[in-house]
Amino acid sequence: MKSKKSQIYKEASTLPSIVPPWLAAVLSAIVPGLGQALARAVQRGLVIFFSFISIIGLLVWRFKDAAPRDEGVVDIVRKAFRLEPIFVLISILFVIFYIWIIIDAYQMAKIAGKPDKRKPIVVMVLLILVFFVIGWQIGQIDLYAFVTKFGDALPAISRVLWPWERAITYPEETWMGTAGLETPCDDTPPPPTEPLEDKPYLIVDPTCGTPSEQIDQEDGTIEVMPGTKLHVEGYNFTPEKEVEIWWKDPAISQFRHREGGDILRVIPDENGYFEEEITWPYRLIPDSYLEGGANWELQGRQVTTIGDWEFSAELKMAIEKMIETIFIGMMATFFGIILALPFSFLAARNLMRANAFTLGIYYLVRGVLNIIRSIEPLIWAIIAIIIVGLGPFAGILALVVHSIAALGKLYSEAIESIDSGPIEAVTATGANWLQTIMYGVIPQIIPPFVSFTIYRWDINIRMSTVIGLVGGGGIGYLLTQWIRMLDYSAAGIAVWFIAITVALLDYISAEIRERFI
Amino acid sequence: MLEIRNLTKIYEDGTLAVDDVSFTVPDGEFLVVIGLSGSGKSTLLRCINRLIDPTEGEIIWNGIDLAKLEGDELRHARRKIGMVFQHFNLVDRSSVLTNILTGRLGYSKTWPTMLHRFPIEDREKAWQTLERLGIEDQAHKLARELSGGQQQRVGIARALMQDPELMLADEPVASLDPVLAHSILQHLEDLNQEDGLTIICSLHYLDLVQRYSTSVIGLKAGKLVYQGSKKDIRNMTDDEFKTIYGEEAIRISDTSLEGSLGEVVEQ
Repeated sequence: MKSKKSQIYKEASTLPSIVPPWLAAVLSAIVPGLGQALARAVQRGLVIFFSFISIIGLLVWRFKDAAPRDEGVVDIVRKAFRLEPIFVLISILFVIFYIWIIIDAYQMAKIAGKPDKRKPIVVMVLLILVFFVIGWQIGQIDLYAFVTKFGDALPAISRVLWPWERAITYPEETWMGTAGLETPCDDTPPPPTEPLEDKPYLIVDPTCGTPSEQIDQEDGTIEVMPGTKLHVEGYNFTPEKEVEIWWKDPAISQFRHREGGDILRVIPDENGYFEEEITWPYRLIPDSYLEGGANWELQGRQVTTIGDWEFSAELKMAIEKMIETIFIGMMATFFGIILALPFSFLAARNLMRANAFTLGIYYLVRGVLNIIRSIEPLIWAIIAIIIVGLGPFAGILALVVHSIAALGKLYSEAIESIDSGPIEAVTATGANWLQTIMYGVIPQIIPPFVSFTIYRWDINIRMSTVIGLVGGGGIGYLLTQWIRMLDYSAAGIAVWFIAITVALLDYISAEIRERFI
Repeated sequence: MLEIRNLTKIYEDGTLAVDDVSFTVPDGEFLVVIGLSGSGKSTLLRCINRLIDPTEGEIIWNGIDLAKLEGDELRHARRKIGMVFQHFNLVDRSSVLTNILTGRLGYSKTWPTMLHRFPIEDREKAWQTLERLGIEDQAHKLARELSGGQQQRVGIARALMQDPELMLADEPVASLDPVLAHSILQHLEDLNQEDGLTIICSLHYLDLVQRYSTSVIGLKAGKLVYQGSKKDIRNMTDDEFKTIYGEEAIRISDTSLEGSLGEVVEQ
């Protein structure tokens, strides 16, 4: 077949060109590759034609993509050149390619029938370059952005790389002192706060007043009525630790006090004392709350840590989910083994080649296993999630399906490669069929089976981290959640756990397998 | 007494491996089968214990035609026929002890053996056999950890566990060096002379044939071309030698080197 082909090629190349060189060049200018084809370099002509067509197709797509709102070739090209200068380079290379096609057609027609051949190395490089640059543009490769924006990403990356501050927390307690206020003022304003021993308290002067208010005037302008100025004194706070001022309005909604738009924070002195002038803020409650006098509360809140450090909730969650992940992998491997075993015997050629029927089953099982194996577990997970919903079970299902296919193939290959010698020897002792299997076959297939199974377990755990990303449970699920919440430290903890587990597992499985092979 | 009558084996692909072979082996004989590789020695031996089913012919042993046996009868006949192989055919990943106990499978109940349980007598017998062959300190090693000579002794021990009356040895020393070859054949000779075991053994090295055999048959392309006593083989002429080993075969004789007196070289 091959020799026949080369013979035809030889025959063709020894014949002179059908068209004169100038005509070949003109024809190639109109239909790229036609000149070469007529100069009896049909293959070359076809390659040129299809390369040219595909480049044109890609360029039309990319130019339109770059300038989607423009009409007319000139406008589109101009805009694309301005927005993405790389198009200039692509166009130049393309024009060079086009000119080369014309020259090549001329030369091919001229040398047709002569023994010397032109090898199109330069143009192959040119062609690869054209596709490379188009690929660069399609891939939106931007090394400049990669380098310049790397710095912006550093804080997030460093949190992922070293997330352990997030692994521990200190239990906190809010230390709070309050003072009561009333609005509007009536004959009996609330008395000033009673001083307390050991506990913080606030004294406000005056103890009644009005909140800030915006009044809509009839001419459409808004008149701002600032609230009552209050002098606040705080006592018995923890010295040198920040205090936040909060309000509790009559509707019991609580909010931070803002002075001039900023959250107010004060630092008490060494005696735990501070004083501050504040303005009664706007109210968010309806007027009805104000009728007959309403009670407000002013709070000074101080957050202090108490006691020793403890493990953070994120760390605990990561550990729990990591364990879940390991068990997802384990359960998937377990079911994978059970279901793969029968298939492996059906997919072992040495057991199935007895007749055409069993051989048919062999090919069928092999084919199905190959198809299942070629579909990524991620896809199986998405299918499983449709059936059983989000969670670990979906992940297990996806991994089971993939494990059956992978283990089925490995097991069947192990069965195919057993040595018939020991079977022969055991048979010769007068052992029956079951004994022959037990003493001649099983000792031979157990080590590879164990080895493949552990390897699979290793893979399944690694994969279950990935399957979590699409909702298959385990630590991957947690990881995507944290990444979406931009909680990079927590995500870093998850990443570390995955890395540690995978490395450990890799080591353990290698150790165990070494003992069995 | 073993009597082979008109034994023929044609494989499915049409190969004629054994062609109308007849001979008799009296009890207590050390019969050596010689012939080139592919001359049908292995097929002949495997027909006797029915690892290969003969196409035609009879194998009369103690009055029973082995060629016609099926099922349990065949297995019970096999128990009394031990076999030793060129590549030892041990289960590499099982211990030496397990490999040897395999020889008792034919006598044991099926279900206990599924759990690797053997009667205490069998275990004692295994230790005695190990001692007899001088490999008792290897008992708990895996078969693959042993050297070639030790592995073949395990192979012999496994066959001995069957309490055999007939021992088939398919080129038992072809994978071993000359010194080990002698040691293995001496074990077989012991069994032959002390226990009165009938031995049918295929061999390549002529000096070993001359040293150990009590009678010899020669196969060529599946046909029986030579039959002689120990005395005959000592005085074997070059012509007889060439009938078995072909015209191109030469005979290397170097009496100064013990262990490789005669060797057949195919050229």
